[in-house]
Amino acid sequence: MSWTEVQNLGVKAANGAGVPPAQALAFGAMLARHVADDGPQGIVATALSEPERIVGLAHRVETIVEAASISAKPVHAKEEDAGTRAMLVSWIAGLPCKSELEVTGAKLRINLSLTEPSARGRPDRLHLDPSLAALMTELAAKTYVPDSDMSRSGGAGAGLMELD
Amino acid sequence: MRDAIQAPNVLGMKDHAPPLVPLRPPETVLRLSRMGQMMPTRLSFLRALVRRLCAERAAVSRTVWDMAPQGYGRAVYSIDLGGHTYSLVAISTDLPDHKRSDRVIATAWDAAFVLFDGVPGREDLDRIAAQAPKQEAGRFGPRDLVLSRANKSVRMWDATVAALRAGRQPDPNMIRDIGYLMRTTAVYGNGKFGIADRHLIADRPGLKGPFAAEMLTVYLIRHFTLDLVQHVGGAPLEPDLARHLGIGNATGLGMAPFLVNHPVLLHNWMHARETALARIIGRAVMTDTQAERLLQLAYRARAHLADWHVPAEDHNAILRQLEADWDAFLPIFDAPQFFGALWQAAQSRSDSLQELLAALLIEVCPEDVDDLAASMGDPFGPLVTPFSDTDAVKHAIARDWAWALNCDYEVEDQCRRFWYVSAAKLEPRLGDRFAEPGADLESPLDIARRVAQLNADLPDRPTPVSDFTAAYAQHAHAIARVALLARYPYAEIRDNLIGATCRPIDMLRCKLSYFGATKFDPKSDLWTRITLAQGAPLAHELRPEMDDWWLPVMER
Repeated sequence: MSWTEVQNLGVKAANGAGVPPAQALAFGAMLARHVADDGPQGIVATALSEPERIVGLAHRVETIVEAASISAKPVHAKEEDAGTRAMLVSWIAGLPCKSELEVTGAKLRINLSLTEPSARGRPDRLHLDPSLAALMTELAAKTYVPDSDMSRSGGAGAGLMELD
Repeated sequence: MRDAIQAPNVLGMKDHAPPLVPLRPPETVLRLSRMGQMMPTRLSFLRALVRRLCAERAAVSRTVWDMAPQGYGRAVYSIDLGGHTYSLVAISTDLPDHKRSDRVIATAWDAAFVLFDGVPGREDLDRIAAQAPKQEAGRFGPRDLVLSRANKSVRMWDATVAALRAGRQPDPNMIRDIGYLMRTTAVYGNGKFGIADRHLIADRPGLKGPFAAEMLTVYLIRHFTLDLVQHVGGAPLEPDLARHLGIGNATGLGMAPFLVNHPVLLHNWMHARETALARIIGRAVMTDTQAERLLQLAYRARAHLADWHVPAEDHNAILRQLEADWDAFLPIFDAPQFFGALWQAAQSRSDSLQELLAALLIEVCPEDVDDLAASMGDPFGPLVTPFSDTDAVKHAIARDWAWALNCDYEVEDQCRRFWYVSAAKLEPRLGDRFAEPGADLESPLDIARRVAQLNADLPDRPTPVSDFTAAYAQHAHAIARVALLARYPYAEIRDNLIGATCRPIDMLRCKLSYFGATKFDPKSDLWTRITLAQGAPLAHELRPEMDDWWLPVMER
């Protein structure tokens, strides 16, 4: 899959799981980085079944960014759960700004340069676990409005026949 | 009100003194009513791409032409740009009339296309020939850069083939009125359906600008349609007629959310255009050459407007009014005027006349504006600094969002519309909240309402923003938009996008003008047809002196 496909699927899946828009957008960016960096994918499926966990992670990153905006010194965080820690690392690495991370056991040391763009490379293909892709596709479908005659005729563009 | 916005020093741009006049404020230029009057400029993406092709004297070579006499088969065109070779693979099929539709929910087309990175080998060609006609249902790889499809304009196609077969040329008036042989109904880039992500090619010379790969595809598709009709017609088109055949496009609602979902791009596009205009209005001198050029283009614009008629009565009335207004304004060009005085004279005229004049002024001074095309991409994504506390959020809302707060979103007509994605091929649609199901699955394009709701919930005393969002997670989206607008002032459309009077066609017009579209032909408030590359140099004419096709008029 392309980077954009994985990211967009992540956004839609998070939306479908009940995550609010801003956090879902950030989740999509995290997911693409997580897959690119060979992060464990099982934990992503688990998180999607607990949307409040995704909202919590988003909030945690917000507090880290907030701290980085106040002081140029590194921000320290601690996360005992290995899966959550892996997503937290991917979330920070997926930010559009420059980031440096050191992970020692449960501890994270984070340097963010909020006005400098991220220099992290992106591969040309991402390998999403098929079972995770299927789960996310299912969740994404929850955000689509079922088709109807009224919707088809009044809600969109061209008519059905365009012979000219 | 924020301070007057000045042009920044953009890294990598030629040194230009800042404009002597302030840029038009976002509150003026980002109203839907004005966005719906925008015209293509020389900063438009197709113009910038063709300008580059002309500067490089690029040559298009047809390396495969495996086409039946009726015009069904495959073709490959290759072109060198910025040190890389790109190839358009075209698959032309026999489409029954009853399957021809401009909508996203269509499943078959007259022709399908892939822009390929390099020169495709036999295996690549076979793979693309199998996948491209499936479009959204196909799978593609990282060497496939753009995916597209097109349908014939049956009237124009049949008339052109018939004329060529009869040893005649097609009717110039018909070419003027229709303007293309085929129209694309989607041009997909950036990773869709497995094609290459934009980041893989974004650093390449010639493809750095927004939608550059898509524009290259569109230009080559236009060339293919000209080749194909001459193949089926069995005779060549006269170059003046061929040059006036562009490539059509049918665009629906999908483009409208793009402007909302890519706020940094919207800012960069608007900011570049407004900087260009300010640089020109602020010029202290006008040369004789510029005065002559101005006059020439002002009359060309008049001829273009006279040629531009659309079937929809309301939209045609708008065009006729602009034509009359422009006629009344034209005498001002006969006596030399400074650019600033010209612009000042237009301030009492209509929005549509002002937008036409803005595009004209930008066209006249390439040396002042062409470098700005390099600042219209968004290679990094939004780089924003968080607010220090909720009072800072309040302050930013009071400064930048008064237009969003002056609206009662409880009133039905202020929230009547909702944007959504249909399960039918994921087509973006617009619904009536009070008459249709699905509002619970609304896409978050209701930015103004969200900011108003955020403003109402902000605490009286300053609080860390993260403490606030811990209790109000749903407001994080609005806070992000407020932060974005504080840094990127042209990033937000200053209108209620869920109001009953919101016309998506205005958003389409804005975006398509940046693509370089002409002859907008709205079919409703939800979709439009346009023409691209009409008047553009033909593939064998890519030379610097040929970059003169703003608002084209057919030579007779």
